[in-house]
Amino acid sequence: MPQKKLSVRIDGELISALEGQTILQAARANGKRIPTLCDLEGLTPVGACRLCIVEISGTDRLFPACTTPVQDGMSVTTVSPKLTQYRRVSLELLFVERNHTCSVCVSNGHCELQAMATEMGVSTVRFAYNYPKLDVDLSHPRYVLDQNRCILCTRCVRVCAELEGAHVWEVTSRGIHSRIVGDLNQKWGDAKGCTSCGKCVQACPTGALAEKGWAVEEMVKKNDNISSLVRRRGVQA
Amino acid sequence: MHEMAKELLDAGERDFIDQVIASKNERPGALLGILEAVQEHHPHKYLPMETLEYIALKTRTPLSRVYSVATFYALFNLQPQGDNTICICRGTACHTRGSRNLLESLRLELGLALEDESDGGGADKILQTTPDQKFTVRTVACFGQCALAPVVEVNHHICGHANERTLQREIQTIERGSE
Ligand code: SF4
Ligand code: SF4
Ligand code: FES
Ligand code: FES
Repeated sequence: MPQKKLSVRIDGELISALEGQTILQAARANGKRIPTLCDLEGLTPVGACRLCIVEISGTDRLFPACTTPVQDGMSVTTVSPKLTQYRRVSLELLFVERNHTCSVCVSNGHCELQAMATEMGVSTVRFAYNYPKLDVDLSHPRYVLDQNRCILCTRCVRVCAELEGAHVWEVTSRGIHSRIVGDLNQKWGDAKGCTSCGKCVQACPTGALAEKGWAVEEMVKKNDNISSLVRRRGVQA
Repeated sequence: MHEMAKELLDAGERDFIDQVIASKNERPGALLGILEAVQEHHPHKYLPMETLEYIALKTRTPLSRVYSVATFYALFNLQPQGDNTICICRGTACHTRGSRNLLESLRLELGLALEDESDGGGADKILQTTPDQKFTVRTVACFGQCALAPVVEVNHHICGHANERTLQREIQTIERGSE
């Protein structure tokens, strides 16, 4: 069944979108970029990070572009002082929640959180840091999970469940205590379902999941590979 | 690992879980009901790891998913619960009426550790059980009975305007009853 064509305005420009697309998908298909963190092309969007918020004319509410479907005649604003303000706050809160010491992180210089902060002009954080005491799981022979750098984007959860089919990861607990767990809160090295494929590591936007053997600044992720794998396999998000 | 779950659970327990799963039968959201029924069935009202593992195996749910659900809802316990539960409200109304002191004195009374470093500074949910498994102390964020603040729930029965004396009396009654 051919999808219905819709016309949508993004930042004033008229584009055509397909029914069922999200605002983010429609924007991307037309070469427009919206800031994102938890989204990874090919995985089910979850709307966790709120970086992709956009304004829609006719309402005061802000909507996450990654989970909001386009509607015919919709007019979307993706850049505005108000949006920058909210995006900054979201980023600051992500920094506050964990221990992001970039200078000693394997992903320094290649981290999506850091890049986003630079892009949004976040150079200081106005809120008090939480300094939680968190684990670093070194039990896997090839990979490391450092909870201190995790932003709970759940990309690792989704790539492992949706693409690898192993579903090793989930989020446990809730609120400020939420964190990523493998199996029944087992060490990664003991996770029976893990095939050591490394997809979660490549999908992770920060230094929370990394390969062993890399020093500070050395871990470069290849998450484009994941999106192209999804396209090749025709997995539908 | 599945062998482990089978070995560690006795046959009766496994049969019960099998029955519960069969009765909830693949409906979406069934996992919640299954966990609830199985926890209720346990003499110490909790979900041991072997049980979670067995449920995951039988419902073909990823282990991490089962663990995630069991830790998201405050309803589920992963630790054995005491025979008696005392639940102190730490909501705003009860806090301003001294529920912190109430909690501290109750923990002293029962010989429980006061500040657990790992619980992040006192504002958090507390769940402690005495070594003899007689009492579990826990906190909630609000019972919705703020007019009666401070509110304490002893074995599912609400005591309004609680103070140290009423708490001591409740504990004595329980102790006496169990002798
Ligand atoms: S390495 Fe692969 S199988 Fe193992 S947890 Fe990561 S994504 Fe899942
Ligand atoms: S470990 Fe990485 S991919 Fe997984 S939730 Fe944390 S930041 Fe996201
Ligand atoms: S990318 Fe939309 S909420 Fe994270
Ligand atoms: S704050 Fe204690 S009952 Fe509402």
